[in-house]
Amino acid sequence: MTGTSGFSRRALLGATLASPVVLRHALGDEPIKIGMPCALTGPGGEVGEQMRRGAEFWIKSVNAKGGLLGRPIQLYAQDTAGDPATAVRKAQDVVERDGCRLLFGMTLSSEALAVVPKLAEWNAIFISSDNGDGRLTGSSFVPNFFRANTSGPMGTRAVALYLRQANFKNFYALGMDYAWGRNSISVFKDEVKKSGKNFIADIYSPIGTQDFSTYITKIRQSGADACYLVLQGDDNNAFLAQAKQYRLGDKVQLLTEIVDLNSIHAVGEAAIGLIGSSRYTFTFPGEANAQFVAAWKKEYGNVPDVFEGEQWQACQVLQAGIEKAGSIEADKLRPALETVEIDSIKGKVTMRACDHQGVQQGFMVKVVRKEGFADPIPELIATFPADQVTPACRQMTYDS
Amino acid sequence: MDFLPFLVTQCLNALSQAALLFFLGCGLTLIFGIMRIVNFAHGAFFMLGAYVGYSTVHWTGNFWTALIAAPILVGGFGAAFELGILRRLYGRDGHAFLMVTFGLTLVMGEVIRLIWGVEALQVKPPESLSDIVFILDEPFPVYRLFLAGAGIVVALVIWQFLERTRLGLLIRATSQNAEMVHALGTDVRLVRSAVFGIGCGLAGIGGVMAAPLVTASLGMAPNAVIDTFVIVIIGGMGSFLGSLIGAVLVAFVQVFGTYYFPDFALAFMYLIMVTVLVVRPGGLLGKEA
Repeated sequence: MTGTSGFSRRALLGATLASPVVLRHALGDEPIKIGMPCALTGPGGEVGEQMRRGAEFWIKSVNAKGGLLGRPIQLYAQDTAGDPATAVRKAQDVVERDGCRLLFGMTLSSEALAVVPKLAEWNAIFISSDNGDGRLTGSSFVPNFFRANTSGPMGTRAVALYLRQANFKNFYALGMDYAWGRNSISVFKDEVKKSGKNFIADIYSPIGTQDFSTYITKIRQSGADACYLVLQGDDNNAFLAQAKQYRLGDKVQLLTEIVDLNSIHAVGEAAIGLIGSSRYTFTFPGEANAQFVAAWKKEYGNVPDVFEGEQWQACQVLQAGIEKAGSIEADKLRPALETVEIDSIKGKVTMRACDHQGVQQGFMVKVVRKEGFADPIPELIATFPADQVTPACRQMTYDS
Repeated sequence: MDFLPFLVTQCLNALSQAALLFFLGCGLTLIFGIMRIVNFAHGAFFMLGAYVGYSTVHWTGNFWTALIAAPILVGGFGAAFELGILRRLYGRDGHAFLMVTFGLTLVMGEVIRLIWGVEALQVKPPESLSDIVFILDEPFPVYRLFLAGAGIVVALVIWQFLERTRLGLLIRATSQNAEMVHALGTDVRLVRSAVFGIGCGLAGIGGVMAAPLVTASLGMAPNAVIDTFVIVIIGGMGSFLGSLIGAVLVAFVQVFGTYYFPDFALAFMYLIMVTVLVVRPGGLLGKEA
């Protein structure tokens, strides 16, 4: 009994002593506010949700350890529905109404391109975690924009480097019939020709195509040993499901720009054998990634997807920058971020001062069946060094 | 690939696609024939069929159960919708039906999103149909053969149903002169409910059968509904045989058009529709021609 009462007295004493400290903490240190306008509904909704989950997870873990610079972090997430004009309005809201000077989000590149010209006026720093458009670190570069993620040209570059070392000789390409499909295939065509291989033909399916039987017949007949696919969403799922039914994969290697877990989940077995670039997947090697995946599983019960990982990396870049600067003021944070180097879940990431692109490795994965996983998973098959994957400063093309 | 195997496999591809289009077009045209309304929600019933199919396969592990459960549930829901809401609108002009069925499309889309989520869902064909057969040395999926066969069987069943059964007779009679049928002592309203239910049920079967090809997804409704309207317009609104011809025609044009003129395949489909409308404004077998 004495022991117990002694303990309570000590605990009481401790609490009394500590309380003024807690109080001062709460009054003196304003939270670090981060605005996150991103597409939570509409075509980019699934990606936007991943980005938000990634940011929330980081904030939760930082706040649990007492915050950043001793200050708690608060997130102001807003839905833009993937519309650039809405993105600008929501960004303005979080900056002017909520007082955020740090921004995440802008799910689509079109949203980011609309927002970046306003950053200087708002005196805000924006750390991108998913924007692919090469222009953001090229012709549309602004000093307050940082890209922590792999850009679109860097993903295509990884595929191109892989082609040079792979055994395929004759290529076919199938894309969705709009700007993205046609652009990506024209870049791919150039890369095939540069590597001295044979490009047979390209074909484009209208958006919303349900029956891919004829496209599959054409790919079979072409004699190609590999086919590059630039399809997304329902079209991608329908093609993969039907290609599997025709056993197309037995004859032709299917390549794709980005491999993500959602489409693997939607088509299951039909995704097996698919090869593509990957910005992030939970199977990447390294201690940092293993820890991240384990913590994520504990919190959400499943493995993190592409943009959850990419967002985590962007958060690590921001955290390193803030710790280095000791401040979140744009004028102090900017130079600190420009020299940040972190050991990320994707390996070493170095922020570059000349165009604010995170210099990082490129990855190629193959979808395989693995013991212990309900769905097939992407497995790393090739890694390319950062200096080969990252374009020259403010460039989006590669000389060699 | 030689020409003969190519021709045979392409024709089979077209037939399997025609079967799916027929499930949709036939229901839409039956409903129009009896009720003189265009069911804008037809694509949504097709999508609902795919999702109900997904859940049935998920729970029972059996694709065949899904093929029975989906048309019953989707058709039942369609009949209930007719009884509860559409029935009140028959005195009004066509705009009311357009608004209500279009509204139903939006509501069903949202409800499906809430229940099943935004991600596309995988429906596997049954084990016995997921193999391939070699036709003149070319591999061809058994499931597509099954689709083509199912299309032929269902077309025969509906034809016999319309020609041989009492309800079929009433349906044909109602589509010709509803007032006369009513005057002869038949409750036309019940015929209407039955037809709306059957039409939606057919869309439901189509949804289950399409799911292994395209996955169950929220994009199904808009993607499917346009082709269906084209079929019904080509075949003639209200004509059962017309919807069959329309489905086969559109499927063949899509399959062979995509092969020979990939950039114009869609245009061909509409070109046929325009030609038919110019030559026979009521469609190939339509009444107003």
